[in-house]
Amino acid sequence: MNLPLPSIILLLFFPGGLFLLASGLVYEWADRKLVARFQNRIGPRWFQPLADVFKLLSKEEIVPSGAIRGLFHGLPIIALASALTAALYVPLAGFNASYSFKGDLIVVFYLLSALTICIGLAGANNISRFSLIGATRTLTQIFSYEAPFLLALLGPAIATGSWNISEINAYAQENIWMILAQPIGFIVALIGLMGKLELPPFDAPEAETEIVAGALTEYSGRGLALFRIGKDVELVIGLTLISAFYLGGLANPLDFLWKTAILLLVTAGLQSLFARLRIDQTVGMWWRVGALLGLLQLLAIILGRQISPLF
Amino acid sequence: MPTQEQNQKFIVPIGPQHPALKEPGHFEFTVDGEIVTGASVRLGYVHRGIEKGTEDRTWTQNVYLLERICGICSHVHVTAYVVAVEQLAKVQVPPRAEAIRTIVAELERIHSHMLWLGVAAHEGGFDSLFMYSWRDRETVMDILETISGNRVHYSANILGGVKFDIDDQKRDFILKGLDFLEERTNHYMKVVTTDETFLGRTRDVGIMTKEQAIELGAVGPTARASGVTIDIRDSAPYSAYKTFPINVITDETGDLLARFVVRIKELLESYRLIREILDHMPEGELAVRVPRRIPAGETIHRVEAPRGELFYYVKSNGGDKPERIKVRTPSLCNWSSVINFAVGHKLADMPMILAGIDPCFSCNDRLIKIRRDNQSQVWTWEDLRLHGIEYYR
Amino acid sequence: MAIGAMLGDILRSLFKRPVTELYPFQRKPVPDTLRGKLVYDPTKCSGCQLCIKDCPADAIELVVVDKVAKKFVMRYHEDRCTFCAQCVQSCRFSCLNMSNEQWELAQLKREPFEVLYGRDEDVQFLLERAARAETGDVECGA
Repeated sequence: MNLPLPSIILLLFFPGGLFLLASGLVYEWADRKLVARFQNRIGPRWFQPLADVFKLLSKEEIVPSGAIRGLFHGLPIIALASALTAALYVPLAGFNASYSFKGDLIVVFYLLSALTICIGLAGANNISRFSLIGATRTLTQIFSYEAPFLLALLGPAIATGSWNISEINAYAQENIWMILAQPIGFIVALIGLMGKLELPPFDAPEAETEIVAGALTEYSGRGLALFRIGKDVELVIGLTLISAFYLGGLANPLDFLWKTAILLLVTAGLQSLFARLRIDQTVGMWWRVGALLGLLQLLAIILGRQISPLF
Repeated sequence: MPTQEQNQKFIVPIGPQHPALKEPGHFEFTVDGEIVTGASVRLGYVHRGIEKGTEDRTWTQNVYLLERICGICSHVHVTAYVVAVEQLAKVQVPPRAEAIRTIVAELERIHSHMLWLGVAAHEGGFDSLFMYSWRDRETVMDILETISGNRVHYSANILGGVKFDIDDQKRDFILKGLDFLEERTNHYMKVVTTDETFLGRTRDVGIMTKEQAIELGAVGPTARASGVTIDIRDSAPYSAYKTFPINVITDETGDLLARFVVRIKELLESYRLIREILDHMPEGELAVRVPRRIPAGETIHRVEAPRGELFYYVKSNGGDKPERIKVRTPSLCNWSSVINFAVGHKLADMPMILAGIDPCFSCNDRLIKIRRDNQSQVWTWEDLRLHGIEYYR
Repeated sequence: MAIGAMLGDILRSLFKRPVTELYPFQRKPVPDTLRGKLVYDPTKCSGCQLCIKDCPADAIELVVVDKVAKKFVMRYHEDRCTFCAQCVQSCRFSCLNMSNEQWELAQLKREPFEVLYGRDEDVQFLLERAARAETGDVECGA
């Protein structure tokens, strides 16, 4: 569906900007509520993430000694900005992407990674032990899941024959759902999304019981609020991408709602099912199992494209 | 900057305030990347001067002071003290009181092990097991509330017997709760031994061989998981364990998974024992009279707390206040084992190894003797209190 | 070797109600043996004060209004009490018991924590004496 609005509204209010921030908070609430219900408890009320943001914005921000002030204040802003920019190219809320050009899949992928790299840099900026270890783990985890995740997103791109997200979306709406055509790719993409968002079982970089809060230990107040909002926006964008690619494209807002809701349900279930993986187990798993599965899927697609003209 | 860091060691402090620890204690792990190369421990953050406080209170009042040394092993502390005093006063407790004491002690063991299961799962990031095992722990707390009146600090013992009785209605309530708990415990056993992610965190982590366990003086389920068969309920039976013996649960592997398995199997053993005692409950009174002034003498008593061997030394000089009570808690013995086998593991394993010995910091902190220039001073309770107020001003 | 051994649990929980008890709006029924606030019956008291000797927290005091006629008033410090029920055990005349209905004992000020138990006229007598006395209370047996 197309949205004939002036660009400034698209950027600031809908579907980017404020609407995106609000939907990020709603998805965070839904995720926490689902995980709570899986664990047989009640979970937070609907305004909890909003209240968290307000509380954090009203707290004092303390810059620890030994940290570079410019980086300390600037990194959260860069992280949120890159997440918001990535939203311009995905079919958010079921409407066509505001801007699209050839190869914007790679740009979106890079912008989402930029957020995680910003978190890692923010941790490395401090001299606190917990931040340094958290930063190391964040950056290590980036090296492990990026390759399989990109391979999994490449599958639908190859099937479409283009690297443009809007074209892939259109292709997915017309043809058979890719989750049936490329099941292995779907699994790798979903688990890769959990790794990217540092959701349990891949939350070793911010393991609460080992290194307090990982890279974000020294952050409080505005910086922490911006990082958290950035992560929520990343959640929405990630779910949109995967449902657009694998669950038959997003044609209208209703499609967007129920497809991302199903994905969120599955993600929340996977979160509550496993124990936390150690960082070396994460890297080992991704480079052995994840990359192999991604390559296998790619091989299957290429072979399929070669063989099908023969029939 | 880089050369400076090469000379300095990278030390990760865990505690005294840390999400991994439920009570304050200070650990310093020297880390090289993710591998731990050295460890040290410092305790003493919750020292409250309880042993000194017992010298100012009468024998009866001490029952309640010693109960509050720890929240999850409170009944066992009181049992050890009360039996020691009864030994000094040379009174014989009626068998029904002994049976009730044992039932409450086993219920407390169930409560403590379920709490530990949840906490250890939480340290490993397995929040679902944490939530579910604490949900099921509520059953045992309801049982204890129904029979004793409070969810923790049951105050079951008095000098000479117990305070309350277990009638048929309470008995049925206990049995019903135990059936539910047994079914859930079997499920947790399956989860702990088959779930791949959890096994990845616990298998071959923190291995302690049998010789190491004996040499380092480990006690309780930590030692039993390495194959050492020490259990005070079996080697020096007290209360109703003389008439209702237990089976000692051991495991040969000695790693973290073995500690989980031993504690869950102890849960099943406790259920069996409570059912057996409830079936053959001896008749009789609940308490005998113990004089207000206990005859002079000194005695010791050992009991099996959920964490290991608990040791009490009681000395009386014939008055109505004790002269000296010394407590040696099991967690104190297990620390050296943690420090020794923590080296070589990854930092991510540290919280689970710490939780694996089931530390109870409040039990730990006892008398510290500071020798300064060969002078020694005996302080009264008032002196100690005033010193504490001045020191923190 | 299973992946996700708790799958049954979490799927079932999605369709069950949460076990959380919404406390002020839902209260579970308390057992009879709950050790709540102390309750004192002055009619049976003989003034032996064994309960006071055994209290580990100095939470009860006995004010003797008239020893021969056995008029006693008990001053109970609710905030010091540890609810151990040793006094209930020590009393030979069953004057004391721990209520199982009054267990929500939070207050905003300190005054409501000092509770006076006794026959109405005795308590009235004490309060008037405290209001009149300039030199402070005249007590025995505290």
